[in-house]
Amino acid sequence: MKILLAEDDHNISKIACLALEKMGGHQVEWVSDGKMALERALAGDYDLILLDEMMPEINGLKVCELYQQQSSSPKPVIFLSAKSQEGDVKAFEKIGLGFIAKPFDPMTLNQSITQLLESKAA
Amino acid sequence: MKSIRGKLFIILSFLFALSLGLNFFSYLSFMELKSKREQIQLGNQLELELSQLPSNLKANATQLNSLKKLNQRLTPPLRKAGVSEMLTHLEKRRTGTFKKHLKTFKTNETEFRRFNLNRMDYLEKKVLFLMGLGAVFLIFGFAALHILFKHLVIVPIRNLSSKMLDFLHNRYTYQFGSPSNDEIGHLHANFNSLAQRVISHTDELKSLDQAKSDFLSIASHELRTPLTSIKGSLSLLKGGMGGELNEVTTELLGIAETESDRLIRLINDLLDLAKIEAGKLPLSTIWVPVDDLIKTTFNSLQGLAQSASVELVYENAAQNVQVMIDKDRIQQVLTNLMSNAVKFSPKGDCVIAKVILIENEGIRFEIKDHGKGIDPEDQKLIFQKFRQASGPNNPIVKGTGLGLAIAKALVEEHQGEIGLKSKPGEGSTFFFTLKEWRFASTHPVVEAS
Repeated sequence: MKILLAEDDHNISKIACLALEKMGGHQVEWVSDGKMALERALAGDYDLILLDEMMPEINGLKVCELYQQQSSSPKPVIFLSAKSQEGDVKAFEKIGLGFIAKPFDPMTLNQSITQLLESKAA
Repeated sequence: MKSIRGKLFIILSFLFALSLGLNFFSYLSFMELKSKREQIQLGNQLELELSQLPSNLKANATQLNSLKKLNQRLTPPLRKAGVSEMLTHLEKRRTGTFKKHLKTFKTNETEFRRFNLNRMDYLEKKVLFLMGLGAVFLIFGFAALHILFKHLVIVPIRNLSSKMLDFLHNRYTYQFGSPSNDEIGHLHANFNSLAQRVISHTDELKSLDQAKSDFLSIASHELRTPLTSIKGSLSLLKGGMGGELNEVTTELLGIAETESDRLIRLINDLLDLAKIEAGKLPLSTIWVPVDDLIKTTFNSLQGLAQSASVELVYENAAQNVQVMIDKDRIQQVLTNLMSNAVKFSPKGDCVIAKVILIENEGIRFEIKDHGKGIDPEDQKLIFQKFRQASGPNNPIVKGTGLGLAIAKALVEEHQGEIGLKSKPGEGSTFFFTLKEWRFASTHPVVEAS
């Protein structure tokens, strides 16, 4: 799969990339702010978009909203977030496919993504 | 005179002086009226007694005495002198002279009566007039007093009261104008100062509350972000991302991972507690069957119980009961109390969860273990933050030290009570109560979506 990862924390991005590329065998492109995430998501051809919620320029929820409005064929969006309050979770599930709570375990990251994608297909 | 008291004093003194004057004049007239009537009566009495004298006009001593007594009370002096001269003639038996005097006396009396009856008529009218005038003044006085009172007291108090209501309902729209310089004006000014103080304090509290919310959200993000990297790296290393690991490295990585997990739990617990204490944790309550609640908790603790060789026992003395709760939160409380009970139980023992229905109190959950028990001194502290019962009898069991504080806060958020009964050496029973409950038989459970 070709995945776009938007995450402002450099270390977390590195870990996520390692897990997704080395263990999941995916191809990952990484951006570090919301504005770039939106540009690349609209320009590139990805199978999945992973969005951090708290990012510089534009936050994750807003990026997702704009992406879905502007894209002709929007791809599934999954949020990565440390916010796990009920209201936040509902917003993630309403706008995107779902969310993966931080701190996440890189060993099970691929599995979580597969589960979320399957739940959508079902 | 600026004060209401002064104004009321002036108008009341005026009314008092007026009524005093009127009363004085009508009293004078009334007294005059009374004395006139008395004099006329005396004259009549005299005439009557004189007419009762024997025909030879020889009065006996008793008759003379009575006549003299009457004479003493006569006014005016001229009238009195005339009668006393007549009585002297009577006493000295000068019949002729006496008869002449008697005739004059009768003529004078007729004249006296006629004149005085006119005067009495006039006095009666005067008294009536003064009384009427008094009544009119009284009515006008009261009307004036009422208007003044309304204007100076009632209306300003009503205005102030409506401003207070405005303030109470958070309508700060009114102007803080300058109030009048009297007692109610001062009250008004004081209220204005009070309101401004309250408004500024409220603003201050709001900004403090906002600061606390901001802190919570920043802390949760800033603390979790580095931990995400630490935990992720450890997990990848342990998973063999960096190549084969020897035994010692694996063990050390395990320790680092366990401790970072503990740090994450601690952060989550602290943030939970801060949220509950700030009232920022809204409860979404539904009716939940008590049986389901206990069974779900048992299932989640099965692993822990098995590894500790402890049996979980459920005793329900309140069949078919549902409670109105936030299921996740009460589950959290039960899990906390039960996992504590399992941790402190000796191997091969059992932990008993009991549900009891108590009238006027609600549903009571009891978690009983047969561990070492808790010292009475520790019992007081155990629900406080970062307190764990420790000491020679109690090995420290790993935890954040916040579990019971969170349990307490959550139960209290449900308007319930939490506590424990324990004797060292005889185990502990932790309990909590829930107020809102009902029997399930008449209400089928509707699962919340």
